Amino acid sequence: MSRPPIDRRVPPPPGEIRHFGFPPFVRTRLTSGLEVLAARLSGIPLASLEVVAPAGGQFDPEGKTGLAALTASLLDEGTGRRSAMEIATAAERMGGYLSSGADWDVGYVAVGLLANHREAGFGLLQEVLLDPTFPEEEVERIRSQRLAEIVRRNQDPSSLADDRLYEVIYQGTVYAHPLAGTETSIPQLDRASVLAFYRGHFGLAGSQLIAVGDFDPEELVRDAERLFGGVRGPEPALPAAPEIRPAPLPGIAVHLVDRSGAAQTELRLGHAGVPRGHPDYVPLVVLNTVLGGKFTSRINLNLRERHGYTYGASSRFTARLGPGPFSVSAAVETESAGAAAREVLAELRRIREALVEPEELEETLSYIVGVFPYTLQTVGDLAKRLETIAVYGLPDDYYNRYQERILAVTREKLLEVAQRHLDPDRIAVVAVGPAAELEPQFAGLGTMEVGAPEGEPEVAQAGPIAG
Amino acid sequence: MTPNATSELDFPFQRHTLDNGLKVVLHRNPALPLVAVNLWYHVGSKNERPGRTGFAHLFEHMLFQGSANVGTNEHFRYIQQVGGVANGSTWYDRTNYYETVPAHQLDLALWLESDRMGFFLPALTPENLETQRDVVMNERRQRIENQPYGLAGERLHELLYPEGHPYHWPVIGYMEDIEAATLDDVRQFFQTYYTPNNAVLTVAGDFEPSEALSKIDTWFGEIPPGPPVPPVSAPLIPLNGERRTVLPDNVQLSRVYIGFRAPAYGDRRWYAADLLAGVLAGGKSSPLYRELVYERQIAQDVGASVSPYEAVATFLLVSTARPGVDPAEIEEVLLRHVAKAAAGPPAPEELERARNRMLTDYYSSLQKLDNVADLFSQFTTYFDDPGGVAREAGRYLEITPRDLTDYAAGWCGETERVVVTVVPREES
Repeated sequence: MSRPPIDRRVPPPPGEIRHFGFPPFVRTRLTSGLEVLAARLSGIPLASLEVVAPAGGQFDPEGKTGLAALTASLLDEGTGRRSAMEIATAAERMGGYLSSGADWDVGYVAVGLLANHREAGFGLLQEVLLDPTFPEEEVERIRSQRLAEIVRRNQDPSSLADDRLYEVIYQGTVYAHPLAGTETSIPQLDRASVLAFYRGHFGLAGSQLIAVGDFDPEELVRDAERLFGGVRGPEPALPAAPEIRPAPLPGIAVHLVDRSGAAQTELRLGHAGVPRGHPDYVPLVVLNTVLGGKFTSRINLNLRERHGYTYGASSRFTARLGPGPFSVSAAVETESAGAAAREVLAELRRIREALVEPEELEETLSYIVGVFPYTLQTVGDLAKRLETIAVYGLPDDYYNRYQERILAVTREKLLEVAQRHLDPDRIAVVAVGPAAELEPQFAGLGTMEVGAPEGEPEVAQAGPIAG
Repeated sequence: MTPNATSELDFPFQRHTLDNGLKVVLHRNPALPLVAVNLWYHVGSKNERPGRTGFAHLFEHMLFQGSANVGTNEHFRYIQQVGGVANGSTWYDRTNYYETVPAHQLDLALWLESDRMGFFLPALTPENLETQRDVVMNERRQRIENQPYGLAGERLHELLYPEGHPYHWPVIGYMEDIEAATLDDVRQFFQTYYTPNNAVLTVAGDFEPSEALSKIDTWFGEIPPGPPVPPVSAPLIPLNGERRTVLPDNVQLSRVYIGFRAPAYGDRRWYAADLLAGVLAGGKSSPLYRELVYERQIAQDVGASVSPYEAVATFLLVSTARPGVDPAEIEEVLLRHVAKAAAGPPAPEELERARNRMLTDYYSSLQKLDNVADLFSQFTTYFDDPGGVAREAGRYLEITPRDLTDYAAGWCGETERVVVTVVPREES
């Protein structure tokens, strides 16, 4: 066929934009107080059902770090009717994935399966949520598995870097500890503490059921009322969220974790950020996208494409009920670790000192708005958004208005929030790698501490250095 | 035993071949205002030669460094500034490039992909090659060398596919080979493999097929075809004796890897091997998890998988020991369960569990438009059969318990296995 002439020198013009709206969802409360958020996603016959409770790691009692995570993970390890293995068998025989656990904000139980098994999966979810027995031998088994998991985690330079960062920037708060607990806390977590935590945090009033899949949401609500409406489960007073107020660091605090012979260095820079509910959260999402949230962000182009220091560098504000971390992460070649950290600091200073280019803002807004439908393709994607609305108390129309909120962000607003929420002069710099090679590279940047990986005695080798 | 899930979904498609040999698959699904553009080149690390390992992957990086009308790093910029996502990946048998963009930006993605297929060489510079060599060496450090157990997979492959076999070396390549890559290598590789007749282009999502086809012909039709691609021989080489090695690493928990070969992806017996992996170690109620992790508590985890290689696949068992546990104890359990599978068929409910999990996994993967596009390209590249996407789940339903036994008995004998054990490095 004959082809129309084309001009390859410039990008072709776009076609006509198609409207995209966030899918509708049902939100209602059952007689037991359990709130239901349900949406239909057809096309592929799948279903995702999840209950989230105010039972996250932020509620870990002093000295009992890891209790929230342990309690949630034990929910599916035995009920009044079935043993741990019988529960796993029931879920897996229908091709389902049953899981439970906790993050900092919530404890959850979830099941993902083919839509034609929805009712059976729903029943299993109800059973493990309302009737867990926490058998002594399962508590012991999961605890010893978690202790071994700590050993594994300490082998991994990337986890070591994250853990050290949080330890430094959240000193004195619950966020300083690993969510899964420590070698000293895990042996303290006995069945009685687990049971008490369950009774105090897994009440139906105060929890949410998030259901997304190839089904009618109204029918789902009727099923939910049948399964969860009459029963009560534990009825705790709603736990009050703890105040988490980390003190800012006095300056730039360099922490080197020695892994001699390591082939590369894991680098982190960070400090405490803002709670998810902070009014600056949306402009901070935009700011972070300019800085390090996508491939063409400043930090990645600098470290990867300009200098070849790394395979990739990124930054993020992590959403939590409390002030989650702002962090920059990269695995860098060891000989350039110090230079890479200085480049990151320079990028943080630059974005606090000058307005971003108008073109850069426009590209970034258009990226975030344009990519939105792409991030809503799966039952898991949609469930995550409904969970965000529920857990962080966002308005029901939050995602309907998300794109317009993003488009309202200005260059001036970005400068303002950068100055308010980024602080390159009071920041932790963590490098996990061969300390002998790293030390001279970081000299003069700030205070410096050199330590062994967690679990081994820490040796303070260098005191504060004037920076 | 009646499988209780739909085995066939409606995945309509059209297929065309342009005059220059480019195969085109169009799959319309207007659920979201998105369009996925996915291009497979039938070249991977198995087309490399010793001394230049890792080249197909380094080349993939170079293809993001610009072409005649697209500047360095502009590819990502053009895609991201309209709200799209883009990337590429390299594998033993193929290299893919893909972008998912808002539906009204289909032309942009076609422009970018056709510019680098047709007009890449004018933009090639020594500076870009140098930076990407550094980036890839850091990628190797990050993924392999600075990763606990990172070298085990590489060593297992070297032993499963003896010297001279094109699956012998890792996709990322060896450090000295990455360093040795020259501009001439880049030119030659491009001219040999990056031709329209060695590629499949899939467009999936919200678009009008006849309009899209004419756009594709406009952007790609004028690119001249190249000579046929040199064939690669990747036979099954009998091992005739167990191969094993111990790899000291910077870890505290030992880990056991046991590998066997499996038939090529697409072969009926490949699906039997995949189901055997699911029967043995898929989920907490599987026999290996039950014995190693749950009952005896000598292992922290266990997994089994079969990789979809075009020529000779790998069947892999992996298990991490609890602190202080002798890996030989774990190995004994893994091998005993393989021997049991070779001796007789699994219980019907074991197979049902594995099969239903496969269906859930496959259906889950079909939720994302970019995966669907990638599957269409895959089935067309390997089998010239885009209909394979809709039939894939059904392939698992054809398999009988006896097929699993036949696979284990025929392919997982003691003279055909490789054992790699990673142990904590002794402190000097």
